[in-house]
Amino acid sequence: MRQALDRPWLRQLLALALFLGLWEGAARAGLVNPFFLPPPSQVGGVLLTLVAEGSIWPHLYATFLAALLGLAAGIGAGAVLGFAGALLPCVAELLVPVMILLNAVPRVILAPLFVIWLGIDLESKVALAFVLVAVVMFFAVYSGIKEVDKRLVERVRTLGGGRWLLLREVYVPSVVVWVMGGMKVAVGFAFTGAVVGEFVASSRGLGYLLSFAQSTYNAALSLALVILVIGFVLLLFATAGLLERRLLRWKYR
Amino acid sequence: MLRVSRVTLSYGDEPVLEGASIKVEAGQFTSLVGPSGSGKSSLLRVIMGLQRPEAGLIDLAAGREEVGILFQDDALLPWRTARENVALGLRARGAEKRKAGEEALSWLRRMGLAGFEDRYPRELSGGQRKRVAIAQVLALRPSLLLMDEPFASLDAIVRHRLTQDLLGLVERERLTVLLVTHDLEEAIVLSDTVYLLSQGPRASVRECYHVPIPRPRDLLQARAHPAFGPLLSRLWQDLSEEVGEPEPAAELLRQEA
Repeated sequence: MRQALDRPWLRQLLALALFLGLWEGAARAGLVNPFFLPPPSQVGGVLLTLVAEGSIWPHLYATFLAALLGLAAGIGAGAVLGFAGALLPCVAELLVPVMILLNAVPRVILAPLFVIWLGIDLESKVALAFVLVAVVMFFAVYSGIKEVDKRLVERVRTLGGGRWLLLREVYVPSVVVWVMGGMKVAVGFAFTGAVVGEFVASSRGLGYLLSFAQSTYNAALSLALVILVIGFVLLLFATAGLLERRLLRWKYR
Repeated sequence: MLRVSRVTLSYGDEPVLEGASIKVEAGQFTSLVGPSGSGKSSLLRVIMGLQRPEAGLIDLAAGREEVGILFQDDALLPWRTARENVALGLRARGAEKRKAGEEALSWLRRMGLAGFEDRYPRELSGGQRKRVAIAQVLALRPSLLLMDEPFASLDAIVRHRLTQDLLGLVERERLTVLLVTHDLEEAIVLSDTVYLLSQGPRASVRECYHVPIPRPRDLLQARAHPAFGPLLSRLWQDLSEEVGEPEPAAELLRQEA
């Protein structure tokens, strides 16, 4: 038993089970109002119903599509702008202050503007996810190039390497390290953008369902949706982790 | 092979070298020693073309692409295996990928690294990484090899082995080498000629010494050669005068008296 408890994941699982047990017990004993804090069994029931009835799939699809499109576009644009900013001082002069400003303010305040400009469909959600991700990726790529190990640059130059070889052998791999470091944050931001965008104005998606649950005071549905979002973000985190291990195998082998 | 004539160099308002001149003959091992901050590494950077002098001439018989450079820091690409790192310079010079890989493998074997070719730098010891860095430079078959304290960061045993191996390679391949070092004994046992730089700022060459120890050399036996002791003593005396501090042995004798 003691040997089994040496495993951190088992201790974490036991702590979670204990927390859920206490929560369930408190609700059944009438210590908490199930209207505000429904017990785990009720939340689980709502979650199962959503999946079994199949009513969740169109909403999941909408949120996933917006998040993934925003993520891909944000990574692409952030990388291009980061490279341009790091390599061309005139571009950096224009871009860096804008990015610092965008990074400093909570970018979700742009959500209503995107709805006005792009409507309540997919585009406004993708735009919000895009802005959230692009700023993170810009700084990852920009810093990756600026912080590149100068000794490696000098080494490749003295071996006879030109600009192309430097880019391929030093700059791009250095940037990949930084990008993979920011990837988990970017995945979280992509989902934030999609869900907040749907929450502000939408006709489907997890954010729309959350807004519906809030307006009908359905705490069980709200919690079920929060768990669903956490579950899928964790899944994407694991995928990003696998990608990181593959791309940076020199670090993990 | 290499003639450095009256090189003057400053970093901003700080003068480093003034009129420094050295000559490296083909097939010879030449060392550059001097007090800390005398500009030894700076002179090497001028020769490498990484630093532009204010005055003076660098007359290199070979092209810049025929110069191999070995720094104190091995600076291997951490995301490339030992073989890929060695092949990097060959690929930079247009070698086909497969051919560069085979050549790299052969150099790694010569450096005693057979079986380590697929390891990443972080999976190698300090000495093994240094061997990869040497293989990377020698694979380009340089006409002139410039080295800036390449083994300074290694422990004594690894350093001794690597220096002996390098000495063997230099003698077998009749390489032309210019080494910057602060280690006077190392300079003597490896070199045919040793240049001593004066104390900076505005350092120049104070003295040039010929090392009459025959080749091929063994690091330990070279130290036992009759010419070694007097030459080391002379170098040490001249260096101490440059630094402006009393020679420790002389100081001890003075205190005893």
